[in-house]
Amino acid sequence: MTNLHPVSFSLNGQPVEIEIPAHTLLIDLIRDRFGLKGTKRSCDMEVCGACTMLLDGDPISSCTTLAVDVDGKEITTIEGVTPPNGLSRIQNAFVLHGGLQCGFCTPGFIMAVTALLKANPHPTDEEIRHYLHGNLCRCTGYIKIFEAVKSLAAEQVSEDAALPVARQRNFRLETS
Amino acid sequence: MSSVRPDLIEKVTGRAEYITDLTVPDMLHGFVVRSPAVHARIASIDTSAARSMDGVVDVLIGEDVASFGCWGVVLKDRPIIAIDRVRYVGEPVAIVIAETIEIAENAAERVDVGYEELPRAATIQKAMADGAPLIHEHHENLQDFYFKGGAKPTQGSNIFHTYRNNVGDVDAAEAAAAYVHEDHFTFPAISHFAMEPHAVIADFKGDSLTVWAGAQTPTAVQKVLSRLFGLQLAKVRVIVPFVGGGFGGKASVKIEPLVAGASWKVQRPVRVAQSISDSMLTCRRLGAEVTIRTAVDAKGRILAKSAKLLLDGGAYSDTGSAVATKSANRIIGPYAVPNLRLEASAIYTNTVPGAAFRSIGGPQAVWAKESHMDNVAAAIGMDPAEFRLKNLAARGERTRPDLRALDMDMSELMGRVTQSFASESQASNRRSRGMAVAATDPANTPIANAIVRLKIDGSILVSVSSIEVGQGAHATMARIAAQTLKQPFSAVSTLRTDTAVAPYDWGTGASRSTVVVGLSVENAALDAADQILDMVVDVWELPKESLSLVEGGVSTGSEVLTFHQIFHRTLGVDSGEVVGRGAITPRSKKGALAESPLFWETSAGLAEIVVDEDTGEIHVPRYASAADVGRVIDRVAAEGQDEGAAAMGFGHALYEQLEFEDGQPVNATPIDYTIPRISDVPPVFDTILVENGDGPGPGGAKGMGEGAILPVAPAIANALFSAYGIRITDLPMTPEKVWRALQKRK
Repeated sequence: MTNLHPVSFSLNGQPVEIEIPAHTLLIDLIRDRFGLKGTKRSCDMEVCGACTMLLDGDPISSCTTLAVDVDGKEITTIEGVTPPNGLSRIQNAFVLHGGLQCGFCTPGFIMAVTALLKANPHPTDEEIRHYLHGNLCRCTGYIKIFEAVKSLAAEQVSEDAALPVARQRNFRLETS
Repeated sequence: MSSVRPDLIEKVTGRAEYITDLTVPDMLHGFVVRSPAVHARIASIDTSAARSMDGVVDVLIGEDVASFGCWGVVLKDRPIIAIDRVRYVGEPVAIVIAETIEIAENAAERVDVGYEELPRAATIQKAMADGAPLIHEHHENLQDFYFKGGAKPTQGSNIFHTYRNNVGDVDAAEAAAAYVHEDHFTFPAISHFAMEPHAVIADFKGDSLTVWAGAQTPTAVQKVLSRLFGLQLAKVRVIVPFVGGGFGGKASVKIEPLVAGASWKVQRPVRVAQSISDSMLTCRRLGAEVTIRTAVDAKGRILAKSAKLLLDGGAYSDTGSAVATKSANRIIGPYAVPNLRLEASAIYTNTVPGAAFRSIGGPQAVWAKESHMDNVAAAIGMDPAEFRLKNLAARGERTRPDLRALDMDMSELMGRVTQSFASESQASNRRSRGMAVAATDPANTPIANAIVRLKIDGSILVSVSSIEVGQGAHATMARIAAQTLKQPFSAVSTLRTDTAVAPYDWGTGASRSTVVVGLSVENAALDAADQILDMVVDVWELPKESLSLVEGGVSTGSEVLTFHQIFHRTLGVDSGEVVGRGAITPRSKKGALAESPLFWETSAGLAEIVVDEDTGEIHVPRYASAADVGRVIDRVAAEGQDEGAAAMGFGHALYEQLEFEDGQPVNATPIDYTIPRISDVPPVFDTILVENGDGPGPGGAKGMGEGAILPVAPAIANALFSAYGIRITDLPMTPEKVWRALQKRK
């Protein structure tokens, strides 16, 4: 019988409490127990950044973080930075600049850029490249990702401003 | 904003669903036990300890499914799971099927497999040596199964395909030549490294099978599963949600038969979600050994070219035969060469199976031919750009009699990349430049079907088998339908790929979707338009010539009838739709699409490099990439395709090699294998898309997305050669290789 450990933390601003085996990984807890599937598992060994979440605002690889270690902390996932109606200005910049293709690495990039701009709202080109060094993308060649982040670095906007819904009125989200 | 791709919104918010985000009721999890042996007989498999664990439902091994026989897409050489023998490290030998992935993974460690090592042949040389162990004893060819044609194996050898094409008389031309130059190049195996590893859910229920797979060619998966398990095509359903990168690594058929076999065994849905490390043991680009020889006259005109390419096909053939054939075609380049002797073979080795990968056979061939071009130019004392220009085939000229005439001007692409660097007329002392060009013949089989449904409220549904793998195919199909029907893009939805809904199409690859599937969507939209106009003709008794589609309805010249009005009055009820059907076959457009290639995929690349002479490290501060795409449909997406292809080319050029030591994978994990990072792409990057509206696709589009990978490695190597006189002949151009070459020169 596996011993269960109580863990309580803030998940996207909501307090949560759960009992889990000690070896549970944060990515599995968030995806399988809380059903938040936006975070993607790719390399599973902390080299690709696809599973990036924020722990007290800093990016971490959730594929190699034990869930028991986030007790008492704040966890933010892609669901937590997505406004209920619309896109964050970071998400909007990625869409407008074409900073994504297959999308599998994208939630991780959005989280990393969220942390970057929070810490450093106007990063230089070198700072952008350095900060995103740990996020791999096989589709875009990074050029449009870089352009998206550079456009944000140049903006004088409050970083929490969500894109007004009106700007997306023409989208139709499909449910297959 | 109205033109924003809906899939990007879903992806950027994390709402987009990939295979591993799906849950099928009653679903079990499979964990694959893989061979640690390079080539071995399976002496025993003991699954009893694994089976006895709580939560383990069953274990699939080869003898369970041996009666189904083998499958393949060109040669039928692959069992569902290893039966009595393993041929490479990583080959699946058992699947533990359990209630949770955790239980399956733990139980997998208790599957005990006994191996008896067999003699191995893990390299091209060893596989072709006299007395080499045979990796497959016989070759069952499947003619016209996936591609037109089949393989030409050499019985009693490891050569599973040889393609030859001879034009003119190379020997006579060489005898008459002023100069003949020969070079030898090698190209390594390369991992696709899609961010989403292979994952499949299979659900066998009696005589029907549903498979959720990130498959680029869902109808090929459907066909292989149908034949393998003896099911009607209509009873095999393949559903493809968003796919997290493919690059050919999810084309043809990969782990679908394996997972379907597991589901067949337990008659419940089974999911296998691989890790990237597993996927690195699933397929990879074919490595190559290339010998190339060119004969020129005193004025620098190429008289003859011969090339022999040996491709390392790995343990199972997959589409390796087609890769070999294409490598022979793609080594010609955009040049007018009157005499050709081309030969390419694909060879079985005891390594991870080779597979299609962005421009099949292209990077291998272009690496050799474009490096070789600069060597020949240097040998005859001619500027390499001038040597190329002198020998280019003109628009409308054929590079080989059996290939369609060139549909572009390579001099235009060369001019555009050169112009891109014009702001700095000369490279500084520390910097040097190199160029390379490519012309490739995509295998874009002209077979596709589409359905376009126009509904009473003016909304439109497009149904195609093309998958959405990031290239924007679904939005492109929606755009083509919107433009053809004169309706806003926002009115059109493209359904997720599902063979139970979408009509037959060959598949997503070979840069074919925009052109071939796009034409079928255009035809389907025209068919829908025709039907709605006929309603007006019939009910309003107006001549068809006076009618035209406008946003939201049909203009009669004097008034606009809304779709609503038209359906309501025609059908008598306030409902309805028209269903437009469009098909493309080799007979479409009076056979104009049948000749291969349907269009040429072409590119030019110009690289500026800086070499750290102390370490041998190459930096590329600047790169220009040009491709002739006919017409751009979605500029951001189109540029992104070529930028992604070029970045992959930087990986091929400088970092990437899936290494084997006597068959043992050395670096098949994401920690040990390096792909480019954001800091590795040139800070100055110019993406040039040439548009002359001269392609066969909608509005004059050609296919694109593969060409830009091709010139990168030889352009960098040519820059290195131009600055230092050193010629690297094997990829990747690691600091160590460059440093050693620099030392040797001194």
